[in-house]
Amino acid sequence: MANRGAVVGLVLVVLLLGVALLGPLLATRNPLASDVEHGLSALGAPLPPSRAALLGTDPLGRDEWSRVVTAAGTSLSIAALATIIALVIGLSIGLVAGYAGGTIDRVLMRLVDLALAFPFVLLAILLASLFREADLGSSSAPVFLTLGLVSWTTMARVIRGKARVLARSEMVIAARAIGASASRIVVRHILPNVIGVVLVVAALGFAENLLAESVLSYLGLGPPPPAPTWGRMLYDGRAYYRTAPHLVLVPGLAIAIAVIAFNLVGEGLRDAFDARERR
Amino acid sequence: MTRARAALGLLGLLACSPTEHGPRFRAAGARQPRDGGTLRFSVAEPIATLDPAIGYDEVSYYALHALFDSLVGFAPDGLAIVPRLAARWDISPDGLTYTFELRAGIAFSDGTPITPADMKYGLERVLALADSPFTGYLDDVEGAHAMVGHAATTCTGIVASGDHQLVIHLARANPAFLAILAMPFATPQRAAHVAAAGEQLRRQPDATGPFLLARWDEGNRLELRRNPRYYDPARIHLDAIVMLENTPRDTQFQLFERGELDTAEKLGAPDYLFVMTEPAWRPYVHRTVGMNVFGSRMNVTRKPFDDVRVRRAFNYALAKTHTARLLNDSTVPSHGILPPGMLGRDPELAPYPHDVARARRLLAEAGYPDGLDVTYATPSDEETQKVAGSLQSDLAEAGIRVHLDVMSFATFATAVSLPDGPAFSFTSWAAEFADPINFLEPRFHSRSIKPPETGGTTNDSFYRNPALDALLDAAHQELDAGARAALYRRAERILYDDVPWIWDYHRVTAEVLQPYVQGYAPHPIWIRDYTAAWLDLGPDGARVKR
Repeated sequence: MANRGAVVGLVLVVLLLGVALLGPLLATRNPLASDVEHGLSALGAPLPPSRAALLGTDPLGRDEWSRVVTAAGTSLSIAALATIIALVIGLSIGLVAGYAGGTIDRVLMRLVDLALAFPFVLLAILLASLFREADLGSSSAPVFLTLGLVSWTTMARVIRGKARVLARSEMVIAARAIGASASRIVVRHILPNVIGVVLVVAALGFAENLLAESVLSYLGLGPPPPAPTWGRMLYDGRAYYRTAPHLVLVPGLAIAIAVIAFNLVGEGLRDAFDARERR
Repeated sequence: MTRARAALGLLGLLACSPTEHGPRFRAAGARQPRDGGTLRFSVAEPIATLDPAIGYDEVSYYALHALFDSLVGFAPDGLAIVPRLAARWDISPDGLTYTFELRAGIAFSDGTPITPADMKYGLERVLALADSPFTGYLDDVEGAHAMVGHAATTCTGIVASGDHQLVIHLARANPAFLAILAMPFATPQRAAHVAAAGEQLRRQPDATGPFLLARWDEGNRLELRRNPRYYDPARIHLDAIVMLENTPRDTQFQLFERGELDTAEKLGAPDYLFVMTEPAWRPYVHRTVGMNVFGSRMNVTRKPFDDVRVRRAFNYALAKTHTARLLNDSTVPSHGILPPGMLGRDPELAPYPHDVARARRLLAEAGYPDGLDVTYATPSDEETQKVAGSLQSDLAEAGIRVHLDVMSFATFATAVSLPDGPAFSFTSWAAEFADPINFLEPRFHSRSIKPPETGGTTNDSFYRNPALDALLDAAHQELDAGARAALYRRAERILYDDVPWIWDYHRVTAEVLQPYVQGYAPHPIWIRDYTAAWLDLGPDGARVKR
């Protein structure tokens, strides 16, 4: 009743998480196995959706449904891990800057400005190429590390603002008066009070990271084939938009739904926390 | 949030993509070939050189073929030999003496008449140049060896006599000799021009063909203009040909759809599927089987490929229909090395069927009841990897576990020609001149196995069979086309049974034309030969909008 959008978002998020977790079980066929015999037309064209292939097939005759549900796990976990990395960095810097204030605050915030001054895509391309060279043993590690290291700045700013307000609150002044250490104040008094903001920025950041994964994959810097991700599927399907539009629509809609869902949840959370503060 | 909105917007755009799919222009409807206009096309690679004695790659050939006429040529629709600079010729009964009567009135583009001496110089230059890839093709000419070894400065077997006659004496008969002389390197050249141009010869062609060089912005754009001195003006209709270099495939198709190119070839799969399934484009797609072959070679001296049962099993295990589909039906399944239309190809032989049970049985007989592991070397380009992946999954069904070894093309090319290199790999061959000699001898004659120190092995399946050698040698001496074809059919039969390769497919060239491009189809040898094409344009010389 409070927020219909948030409820819809939440339902979608739960559904998406379900698909991500059950991905391999929902797949009706091996998402990596190309089936030239049944998955392609005589001309070698991808097949449109049919009873045999629910969402059609891709140019190698692989089942699009099986690929999109398998990719859910990869794409969502990349976005989640990237968000966690961004959160750890953003939270640390935000809390320190917000609580300490003064020179430390100014230096840290200029650092954030510096990071923000770089165009997102350029920085991501640079980092992704570097991580790829480094050979991290996992095909998705370069992607979530890149996204995490690029997307922490907004979080740092928002949390710093909140922490700064809290640092001047009576509660903190009182704690300081009875001799509590700075780390104790930050952990026990400030952190619990920024959790609400953190949830909001995390939900919004998650949606952005999901989209950014597709951007990287679209630039050929995502997890390498044959493992499917939504971004990679969109990238591979783009050239077929006239003869096999499902190759664009299926991963495109998956990304769109997930981004909208997490945005709705994020906005719902924001409304909820704002309301409490107003009260 | 804004990014999310942008993504949605993009998706919406894609969902309702433009409804206009067909050609923007149409043919004006002329009954007779119309003179004038510029034909524009693009290639993905750069042109290497315009020196006919050096230019060897497909792209350079497109330009060279328009710039230089040879003594003879190929018919527009096939491999029949037709007169070009030579009006007629006579071959002695022993096949050793070729007497060419040069056409009257042939001239270089500045009006200087072409003499038999120029023709002799052009051929001798090929023999004298250390870096000419064509030297070997003149191997059978008397005195050629002395010139190649720099012992002689002139070739005794090439005689210019009088104003119009060129006589070539062969040391050994070669029934493919006319097909060899149809290549652009067999063109007259002037010693004075070659000396004056020096290092710049690659940019200053002394044209003898229907077009001459107007401008070359190297790496970007080559413009050829109609040669006013060409001896057969009725055959030529275009004013100019423009060739854009280094244009990627998808860019090519975008330019083509916008009407900025008149033809598009080597389309990417999505674009090819589009023109093949779009009724407005389909009539303008032309397909020609190229003079090529693709498959997998096996080193027959190495285990497990020294056992013919294993090689046959591999042939039965491969499903050629799978390769065909992956290559968008642009293939013809092969039963041997000779492509359709080639002399000596036996139409009776059927390609090995896909028969997994038989493959397993043969493997069991050969001592591999539980299948076997093999490594397959393949260059890293996309198409070859697709084919290799398909081979891998086909062979797996017969219990053959294929491990792919992907390498750069340069590494691959060197490695496979070594006796201890990869024993099993992708392979292909394309005709340099249109004759079975050019397929069977380099790939399967024992003479084409060279010591590893010198390199140059083209028979990289290391197949040695005295019976096949004898047939190929006999065919090399046979001047009667029918008898020669019979010999090659027997050779094909031996190779069909011995299978040093997995025979797979011949590639089809597909090209889509704007509706106003007339008098053209891809040629099996030249592929993009637009010299005789014409444009059906409006009365004002502009392309007519639909």
